[in-house]
Amino acid sequence: MIYKVIGKDEFRKLIEGLIESNETFGPRQVDTGKDGQPIYQFRKVDSFDDLELDYNYTASSLKNFFLPFKELLSRYAFTDDDWEQGIEYRVNPRVIVGARACDINALNKLDDIFIRGAFPSPYYMARRNNTFLIGMDHMPPEDCFCESLGELTVRQGFNLFCTDLGDRYYLSINSSKAFNFLKKVKTSNPTAEDDRKWIERRQLIKSSFQTEVETDELPDLLDIEFSSPIWKKWGDKCLNCGVCAMVCPTCYCYGVEETIDVSLKQARKERQQYSCTVVDFAEVAGGHNFRPLKEDRLKYRYYHHYHGFAENADQQICVGCNRCGRACLPGINPKDVINDLILESGDDV
Amino acid sequence: MTFKIPKQDINFKPFMNRPPDYKLKHEIMRTDRVYKCEVINIIELTAEEKLFHLKIIDPAERAIFHFRPGQFLMLEVPGFGEFPISISSSSNNQEYIALCIRKVGRGTEILHRARMGSRVGIRGPFGTSFPMEEMVGHNILLVAGGLGLAPLRAPLYWVNEHRDQYRDVSLLYGTKDPSSMLFTYQYEQWRTVNRIRLMTIVDRPDENWTGRVGLITELFKEIEIDPLNTYAIVCGPPIMFKFVCNHLDSLGIPMNRMFVSLERRMHCGMGKCCRCMVGSTFTCVDGPVFDYWSVMNLKEAI
Amino acid sequence: MKYLGIDPEKIKIGSFDFTCCEGCQLQLANKEDTLVDFLNLLEVVNFREISSYRGEDYDIALIEGAISRQDEVERLKRIREQAKVLVALGTCACFGGVNQIKNKFEIEDVVREVYGDDPVETLPVRKISDVVKVDLEIPGCPVSKEEVEKIVVDLVTGAEINFPKYPVCVECRRKVNTCVFDLGLLCLGPITRAGCGAVCTSGKTACIGCRGPAEEANYEEFRQVLKEHGFTPREARERIDFYGGLPEMVIDES
Repeated sequence: MIYKVIGKDEFRKLIEGLIESNETFGPRQVDTGKDGQPIYQFRKVDSFDDLELDYNYTASSLKNFFLPFKELLSRYAFTDDDWEQGIEYRVNPRVIVGARACDINALNKLDDIFIRGAFPSPYYMARRNNTFLIGMDHMPPEDCFCESLGELTVRQGFNLFCTDLGDRYYLSINSSKAFNFLKKVKTSNPTAEDDRKWIERRQLIKSSFQTEVETDELPDLLDIEFSSPIWKKWGDKCLNCGVCAMVCPTCYCYGVEETIDVSLKQARKERQQYSCTVVDFAEVAGGHNFRPLKEDRLKYRYYHHYHGFAENADQQICVGCNRCGRACLPGINPKDVINDLILESGDDV
Repeated sequence: MTFKIPKQDINFKPFMNRPPDYKLKHEIMRTDRVYKCEVINIIELTAEEKLFHLKIIDPAERAIFHFRPGQFLMLEVPGFGEFPISISSSSNNQEYIALCIRKVGRGTEILHRARMGSRVGIRGPFGTSFPMEEMVGHNILLVAGGLGLAPLRAPLYWVNEHRDQYRDVSLLYGTKDPSSMLFTYQYEQWRTVNRIRLMTIVDRPDENWTGRVGLITELFKEIEIDPLNTYAIVCGPPIMFKFVCNHLDSLGIPMNRMFVSLERRMHCGMGKCCRCMVGSTFTCVDGPVFDYWSVMNLKEAI
Repeated sequence: MKYLGIDPEKIKIGSFDFTCCEGCQLQLANKEDTLVDFLNLLEVVNFREISSYRGEDYDIALIEGAISRQDEVERLKRIREQAKVLVALGTCACFGGVNQIKNKFEIEDVVREVYGDDPVETLPVRKISDVVKVDLEIPGCPVSKEEVEKIVVDLVTGAEINFPKYPVCVECRRKVNTCVFDLGLLCLGPITRAGCGAVCTSGKTACIGCRGPAEEANYEEFRQVLKEHGFTPREARERIDFYGGLPEMVIDES
């Protein structure tokens, strides 16, 4: 990693240059909640001033820039008594500004599955390789617990990462593209003072977490407490609405659907983001449902997140952003569910 | 000041003339492109099940398509969907692939209307297989319930083609009623030519049925099993393989010598969509063939 | 489609409106970019919004609207006898729709309110399946043309027709919408069947349940959610009662 320091005015020039030449996305306020608080999402930006780099969190994650909610996998063109398959996964380069460390870590986890897994996905790779990603540190919102999961800092998976030192950014440069762009703006090598401020900033962030979740023992605990009554308690609250998985930065489960055009001349095969909490997730043809109960489905989501799957090297895939907890209308959230699970297992002893 | 980001094409060759090496990133296109096949034969097995013989049209593609007994493919019916099907033919058969398909759900219902010459696609093969080499020199006990005979046909072909390498081979097959019994036209050949001890049983006999009646576990009363020299392959509904495997376990067959093939809904076959997960295990990449010890350790398998 | 030996056959349809706004039928004539292709799949025997021809030899009858008069009952029964497949099209046909609000009041009061001193004959509103056997229900106020296109393709090719089982929230979040609960609205999305593409919530208005219940909707918890978001039972009941598609979502006002 190469480190530089850039004044915020110069940084603005860099971003403006990127916006001018590429499709660029970043945090923008999209609504004001009934509590008067702004609601942010990653959206297209047309100028630097569109960006709200001091945002607390976006309601939905970055995931769907790489795994679109609906994605065309292939097309079938029908001819007389035959068909031809067409596959296309070219995407235009684009820039994302203002990703948080946990969001980038989430992408790194998705990389394990979609790039380094047994069957790499060309669709995902095309999007990932063509995205210039600029990360930015931030003070944790009160319900975030990424520190508990070790996702507070990020060392890979981005082009440029900015640590805010007040009037300037301390840059971690992780790609030749970023390095070359930075040659065109004014940067300097970090001074001892910059380094000290960098450490202070990191320590401040680390000490600012208000939510802690004990996750180390969870892989075993989830096995041991597979039939714990807490699953029914929380499962009964689940609306099966799938919102948790939609906003999650790492939930990647999907379904594939085919649709024939009304012209009957071609069909589309599309991947759609799905959720394991949705009622028919594990239903097979003929109607048998391997997870007929709400509690089975909710438990499965926690199992996936905190037990880990072989495909991603048994890592826990939660990054602790608590988007699912915020989005859940009945208030199911990882902190409370996990604490309940730990308490419950304590009761057994 | 402008900073144009150069476009990075994931430019995959549309076709390779050897099996894909997934470690080479430029070869990954194979994962989503189907092999186009022609239906060259359709055999009506029962009212619900048909056996389709598919021939990969492109000779070069046909030459690189290899599978092992127990593996499955994703069968694509363009416009109507894709579904996992275990391969029911010999892994030695270079001419065609046989798939036994029950009419259940959107894709399979449409496929049942296909005729000779219809064109469908396949992706794969995917998943784990039965360790046929490891079983050499041992007795083999195949136990199938209902449609579970379909995935057992590939290992059965293997055994028949290498019959001298294996000792006693038994096939126990149970179905609900006589009319749902599959591949009845092959039984005689299996018995006489291939020296397979084949026993069948039905739960609900009709007036023409003269064979055994009851659940598949009844058949165990009639055979002797040498637990330390026997490998078992069990395939059928979860409740059935649970009973069968528990019985075999009580006889003393080691759990890692009992193999089952699990079925789940799948949308990708490549360990991505998560629809086929059992606990934290993918049926499509870690399975569908598991030894019974692994199945016991899978949460929610049975 | 010939690759499977399927020779798609045009379906002969008749479309009939009962107590409704005819918006669903009109919806079928929408979406100009695919309208020609759409009509190519149909042999329109009887369809006021599309053609002036009136035939009686339809196979598939699209029934729009609810039943609120005796003459409608008889007309519907005649259509049922003729049709091989009878489709309830739209929320009024599937659940009674807006019309069934009438059933919450005394019928004399309703007639007086609307027609004053010139009363008309009227019955309590019934959905189509209360009167005749319905083979297929396509909910929506109005129906989604995209969904209808899919269904017509399925009918033409003989494929199984599937509706989403999950609630509107799935589609709403796929569109990266702000949850309208966060904007202070009472939304029925969490218990309503998806398939509409979350059109209402994408326009920052609440879902009012026109598509009926999602499968295994969690009514009990949803009642709790409404309470915790500060909605009164009366507000909840008014919303639920609007289309009559969520009869299992009972609100206790006491």
